[in-house]
Amino acid sequence: MFHNSSQKKSWTFKNEDELEQLRHKANQKYRNKMLASGKPAVSDSLFLDLHEEEVLFRHYEKRLMDFCNAFKPVMPKSVVGTAIMYFRRFYLNNSLMEYHPRTIMLTCAYLSCKVDEFNVSSTQFVGNLVQESVSGQERALEQILEYELLLIQQLNFHLVVHNPYRPLEGLLIDLKTRYPLLENPESLRKSADDFLTRVTLTDIGLLFPPSQIAMTAIMNSASRAGLSMDSYLTECLELKDNKEMLSKMYDTMRRIKTLMKKYELPKPEEVNAYKVKLERIHAEFGTNTNLKRKRGYENDGHVAKEPRMTEEEWTDDDLDDL
Amino acid sequence: MDQYSILGRIGEGAHGIVFKAKHIETGETVALKKVALRKLEDGIPNQALREIKALQEIEDNPYVVKLKDMFPHGTGFVLVFEYMLSDLSEVIRNSEQPLTESQVKGYMMMLLKGVAFCHENSIMHRDLKPANLLISPTGHLKVADFGLARLFNNDGERLYSHQVATRWYRAPELLYGARKYDEGVDLWAVGCIFGELLNNSPLFPGENDIEQLCCVLRVLGTPNQRMWPEITELPDYNKITFKENPAVPLEEVVPDTSAQAVDLLKMFLVYPSKQRISARQALLHPYFFSEPLPAHHSELPIPQRGGKHSRQLVQPPVEFSVDLPLAESLVDPALLQCHAGTL
Repeated sequence: MFHNSSQKKSWTFKNEDELEQLRHKANQKYRNKMLASGKPAVSDSLFLDLHEEEVLFRHYEKRLMDFCNAFKPVMPKSVVGTAIMYFRRFYLNNSLMEYHPRTIMLTCAYLSCKVDEFNVSSTQFVGNLVQESVSGQERALEQILEYELLLIQQLNFHLVVHNPYRPLEGLLIDLKTRYPLLENPESLRKSADDFLTRVTLTDIGLLFPPSQIAMTAIMNSASRAGLSMDSYLTECLELKDNKEMLSKMYDTMRRIKTLMKKYELPKPEEVNAYKVKLERIHAEFGTNTNLKRKRGYENDGHVAKEPRMTEEEWTDDDLDDL
Repeated sequence: MDQYSILGRIGEGAHGIVFKAKHIETGETVALKKVALRKLEDGIPNQALREIKALQEIEDNPYVVKLKDMFPHGTGFVLVFEYMLSDLSEVIRNSEQPLTESQVKGYMMMLLKGVAFCHENSIMHRDLKPANLLISPTGHLKVADFGLARLFNNDGERLYSHQVATRWYRAPELLYGARKYDEGVDLWAVGCIFGELLNNSPLFPGENDIEQLCCVLRVLGTPNQRMWPEITELPDYNKITFKENPAVPLEEVVPDTSAQAVDLLKMFLVYPSKQRISARQALLHPYFFSEPLPAHHSELPIPQRGGKHSRQLVQPPVEFSVDLPLAESLVDPALLQCHAGTL
């Protein structure tokens, strides 16, 4: 149940400022660590700023979604939703400069499959990196497994994600049984589903409970079809005499829609420019070494290893034709 | 890991070694379950993930083992649980005299409360058995080992593995290869455990999967469509046929047992999963409200790990009665003395 979930307790935040602060802290933490490392060539201009991180984040998040949607066998929506939520939670407290999003995104998808009991073998999973050679897939898998534990730890071992898809089903059933005013509730499904897909690419899931997101999706879908469903709230949900709750509900829906409207895909030229920075940082200060070989990583201070050339890494281009 | 000092090894769980340890800061004794990732090709095992999932999402409950903390360690991680002295299988094995009716009721009540709590939180345990029911130093029974547990939802869509649950406690639908099942598999297991407590020996001790089914059929009778309509949909239904065999009255299976106990047992051990009594409902059964009343946890045996120093009660447990003077019904403080340190 959501009300006693780790999602509600630990991963639902008050407002966007709070999220912004966490991301700022993660960015700052990485900068300070690097500046303190005493490495030559470390300068402030080298680092990604918050905006740049954000652009790249959205870029990789979209890639994660594309990867999941192209996945064979077809990945259930909840698995996709969970994967993206893991990705969001991970980078709330970590900088993209520290852990490369290319690896983290796949690790998120891999863990999500396991947690949500969408059982695919590891070879089957990396087999979906269709542009990769077999050895490239093996390397990708090696990295995924290397980061799996780190991911779980950064998620604070909170693995269950409550997606808005089930509440949406519940609302549709409720509409069918208790709201005869609406002739064909099923007609709302398509656009509500699309709404929820776009929600996953925003902070909405970190700010609102899934049931309210689902409700907004339904209401939005109805209003687009020119249907008014206000009486569902006032009559069926008995909010008529509870003005405070009702206005809260409307306020929530407004906030959700505003956040939705704000979303835009990152501009390719921006992405490309920042990617160059990101790759440079990872090439020069990357901790992209085999974590398994280290003695555990319970100590927060990750040992920065000597830079490693990226030649044996698989690159973004491998994901391009998904 | 530096926060704990290892005191000894308790045993080996389904996916890791369990150690007894002391939390240095608080001096508290805990059980550390190390989940090593030896089999690396698929990463962290699903069983471990399931256990983390189940334990992270449920609130504290006195009848469910508490996960106190977890942290990564080496190539794996460590789950920190409250420390338990023993488990129900040892209690059954160690008690030289069979448990009294009042004690059986006490255990059943705690078991049902734990199971009801799991089910109300949409968790099916899938591997209930005496060895997974731990006994705390205060005599409390707590459901443990969520390695096979999973969150269920009632949409009936997902397929599950039928290779769950330890054989003796495996529900008949699982024995017939069901891939869609529900929390009824836990209620069947509760019935088996109940029977085992009453008889002091397992109810259906099958040596292999086929024999397991035979054991069940021998008692409940050969199932047919009339008593179990869903049976025809089970994967292995047509693979195996059994001789027509009438049911044996449960009174004969658990002899010398009160009529109420048999009545409750019957409600768990029925073929259609949906007809099994829920844990919450079972707690309201007259069995728990009639003499002798369920034993207080301080009146239950607490064998030590390893089973060497089984500490049985010197006195027979106090029977409660409304007709007796209150003073006589009170638990002897001396009995509580040995638990004082843990309270």
